[in-house]
Amino acid sequence: MTEPILEIEDLNISFYTRKGEIPAVMDFSMKVMPGETMGLVGESGCGKSTVSLGIMRYLGKNGRIKSGSIKFKGRDMAEMSEDELRGLRGSQISMVYQEPMASLNPALKIGQQLTEVLTIHEEISEEDAAKRAAEMVGAVRLPDPDRIMGAYPHQLSGGQQQRIVIAMALLSRPSLLLLDEPTTALDVTVEAGIVELVKDLAREMGTSMIFVSHNLGLILETCDRITVMYSGEAVEEGDINTVFNRMRHPYTRGLLRSIPVPGADKFSRPLVAIPGQLPLPHERPKGCNFGPRCAHFRDNVCNSHEIRMHPVGSEADRHRSRCERIDDIEWNAEVDAGEIGEPVVPGDVVLSVDKLKKHYSVSTGMFGGGDTRTVKANEELTFDAREAETVAIVGESGCGKSTFAKVLMGLETATEGKVTLGNLDLANTAVEARGPSTVSQVQMVFQNPFDTLNPSMTIGDQIVRVLEMFEIGESDADREERMLELLDLVKLPREFAKRMPRQLSGGQKQRIGIARAFAGRPKLVVADEPVSALDVSVQAAVTKLLTDIQRESRTTMLFISHDLGVVRYLADRVVVMYLGEIMEQGPTEEIFAPPYHPYTEALLSAVPVADTHVKKRHVVLEGELPSPLNRPQGCPFQTRCQYVMPGTCDKPLPERRFGEGHVVRCHLPAEELEKMEPVIVVDTAPTAAE
Amino acid sequence: MPAETLGTLDILLQILQRFMPVWIALAVTMGGGYFIRDRLGQFGRLYGSRIGLVGLGIVLFWVFTAIFADLIAVTGPVDQLSFTAKKAVPGTIDAEKGVVLLLGGDNLARDIFSRVVYGSRIVLIIAPTATLIAYMVGSTLGLPAGYYTGFVDTAMSFLANLVLAFPVILLFYLLVTPEVREPVMVDLLLFDLPWSIPIAMSAIFFLFPIVFLCLLWFTKYEKNKQRLQVYLGVTLVLGIWVYLGLVFNADPTGLLSMDPNELNVFAAVVFVSSPAVFRVVRGLTMDIKTRDYVAAAQTRGERPWYIMLWEILPNARGPLIVDFCLRIGYTTILLGTLGFFGLGLQPESPDWGTMINHGRSFVRLASTAHIALFPALALMSLVLGLNLLADGMREESLKD
Repeated sequence: MTEPILEIEDLNISFYTRKGEIPAVMDFSMKVMPGETMGLVGESGCGKSTVSLGIMRYLGKNGRIKSGSIKFKGRDMAEMSEDELRGLRGSQISMVYQEPMASLNPALKIGQQLTEVLTIHEEISEEDAAKRAAEMVGAVRLPDPDRIMGAYPHQLSGGQQQRIVIAMALLSRPSLLLLDEPTTALDVTVEAGIVELVKDLAREMGTSMIFVSHNLGLILETCDRITVMYSGEAVEEGDINTVFNRMRHPYTRGLLRSIPVPGADKFSRPLVAIPGQLPLPHERPKGCNFGPRCAHFRDNVCNSHEIRMHPVGSEADRHRSRCERIDDIEWNAEVDAGEIGEPVVPGDVVLSVDKLKKHYSVSTGMFGGGDTRTVKANEELTFDAREAETVAIVGESGCGKSTFAKVLMGLETATEGKVTLGNLDLANTAVEARGPSTVSQVQMVFQNPFDTLNPSMTIGDQIVRVLEMFEIGESDADREERMLELLDLVKLPREFAKRMPRQLSGGQKQRIGIARAFAGRPKLVVADEPVSALDVSVQAAVTKLLTDIQRESRTTMLFISHDLGVVRYLADRVVVMYLGEIMEQGPTEEIFAPPYHPYTEALLSAVPVADTHVKKRHVVLEGELPSPLNRPQGCPFQTRCQYVMPGTCDKPLPERRFGEGHVVRCHLPAEELEKMEPVIVVDTAPTAAE
Repeated sequence: MPAETLGTLDILLQILQRFMPVWIALAVTMGGGYFIRDRLGQFGRLYGSRIGLVGLGIVLFWVFTAIFADLIAVTGPVDQLSFTAKKAVPGTIDAEKGVVLLLGGDNLARDIFSRVVYGSRIVLIIAPTATLIAYMVGSTLGLPAGYYTGFVDTAMSFLANLVLAFPVILLFYLLVTPEVREPVMVDLLLFDLPWSIPIAMSAIFFLFPIVFLCLLWFTKYEKNKQRLQVYLGVTLVLGIWVYLGLVFNADPTGLLSMDPNELNVFAAVVFVSSPAVFRVVRGLTMDIKTRDYVAAAQTRGERPWYIMLWEILPNARGPLIVDFCLRIGYTTILLGTLGFFGLGLQPESPDWGTMINHGRSFVRLASTAHIALFPALALMSLVLGLNLLADGMREESLKD
């Protein structure tokens, strides 16, 4: 048997803070064989990043490896001197971090930063280093390596920067590459390109990889083996297919059941939320950390002693799980999803957007002189939303969805066009001019739960303030009562009224955000990626709560998201935006099946899917999103479209209509659009049973 | 006849003994604070920082000294002892009254120890109050500058830069000049009001706290008319009463008044510090206004001033408290400087700046240097304490 590249045994890492010792990683073992890609998956705070930093021996002032060994190519890293470690880092072991801009020195040209890696670790002349660096830039598929080598980091886009970071990490041909959430800061279509690149490069160079991510879909697409972490411990480890299809830990199963997959809708594969929330590091329970949230918890079995990893099946399977009741649990049991809501019957049109335009003028000269150029953030948006309907607005960053939300909320007024809610004109009335009754009709749920509540006011006071603003309730006591009812509505205990936001978890804060938005019984709620910043296991619960309240109150919801899984799961209709324009809109089922707009096709293909039964057709987008300052004539997508037809695509976009309200704005003839093959194909085999 | 003196050790022991009330109070507050440190927020975190704790100790020492000055001081601040006490070295025993001059006597035979102790009272009342008013002026102007940006910001920042560029010393000399300082009575038909440049400046500065508080209540209780009336009424009545009394010496009840010299000090201090506060608040506002909770407030139709005062300002308090501590230190030094220029309070006032000013002519001789030395040490220790406290708080707020 070959020697593993990296072997971690019984690793314990603690951080020492004001509150005393906080164990971040406990009893962690892992083996990475040459050429193997290991996925490390878990929610925030589970210790996955600490493991990767521990491998680099880079834990900062507070962190310390308490016990256990990390062997790199058979040598214990604890016995290496600081000099040896420095020689190892960046040459034998390289790391790619989440934020590309933070990994590059903004004051140095790309070329200098790349050649430096080689001149430091290898005795090599400046010219040779520059030559190899340029080759590597080509290898990470960046166009025009010479220009890139002479550029500063800020002159490149996020995706290009991350490619440079990867090039830098691979320059000295490391035997181990650590990738810590390398694509989290990037858009899905860019992410797809990076993932493809990393996979190819690793295969070509035979590099072993550790891929740290919270995204199960991404892990499935990139890794051979997977380690699932929960609250500082590895709970399950095994080959990727084994863990996805024959998982033997309740947490892994819960995680897989709580993420929506674009291949399935809510009826064929209902979401099941994991109850409760992650324990704080200093409040971990005795025994199994997942115990308090686990449906299979048994007193005196799961909480009586420290639980070790148990092998599953034969030794050769290399499948292990930290569950005491592996043999007792019926792993193939049908999902109990509770009652599945009846499909809502949408009512009349509530919101109608007609040729909405929002332009910003940007002056380039000093003192406001010089050229004035126009940023067309929204260009002719037209769509309707009905009562009780959920309309998803999908698109990557910069597609104008946030600007559109601002216009709806009255934080900006439209340049042209109309937005009407019932008989109210929203497009041209700023929020100050709206009056309490209108304002309470249009509310918003914000993206970042940690930012959405005022940190220095109690939860109760914040909700009461909203009620006051909306002129709801007769007296202070009345409003107090209504505030408590709102807490009931979002399923939070009434004691929370007296708490400060910092005492709440992300999911709980987002529930308060929802309570606040629904306080005035709004007609329209704009939800801007309401769950994307939450932990995976909490997302499902918050999503369910949001849709339940919305359905019950027959509120129209505009759901802004880039996560097509969630969109497929809860939207009735989908609007796909690109560079401020609507490219395609229609009922959810039709958007997820051909005919597609070429952009929708690429978007669908880019989404990582956490289901081994889903087969995807690969469409990787080339190029970058054009600047909204100089958008192409005609179709905005033509610069990246694989079907581009020179001479045709720069004419105004025609509308191709299919079925009920399904509109594709594309120059391709309808017949060709209809001939497209589906991007996502689901194998008929049932998901959990195998 | 050479006067009797005490040895150094005796002096130290006696001083320690005199400060007994302070030691007890320090032990109670710092010890008690330790047990409830989790509930004290920013101040509770200080228990993790040695430097911050030392700073807090020094500051509290002076606070308690000011509170218990009557118990600690041997004589009154302006009591003159016999000729033996004149320029006496530390430890001298006064021949007539038998009082020990622990830190010696000044040229007018007054006990320096007692004067330093009483001086802390003046410093610890004026410095924080003046800083607080500077904060209200700076915040009331800095919030809109940071929130609206654009023209409002450009105009106000320009003004702030103008003030900051103004030579402070020149301003102080200007304020000391009798022609500028002496109030002129102006006939306002119904009643007469004193008028001078310092009074005019104070009239503007002292208006800000009232405006600030009124805005605070108005924005918060706009939709709750009953409470609004109560809060606004109390603020306005109290505010205008204090305002008339302090600024124009025109309190109808005759209870409140402020010495013209003190008004001078306030005018000078606020004028110099508020532009710096303005900048700090403006910067913090620009940062905090991008948060989602500000957007949430905007989307529920809150007034800009509500957002500035209730959504932004409370969340800027961390860095502001640190800056506040530092700025009390600057103000204390500034008070010293003002006292040195004779702009301080009355010449016989025991504030540290004035004392240093009086003692400066005796610094040349080793035997009389202590007249200026001890107030200078007191000033230095308080400023040092405030700086350490601010450093400690900043350090702890960066830790997690």
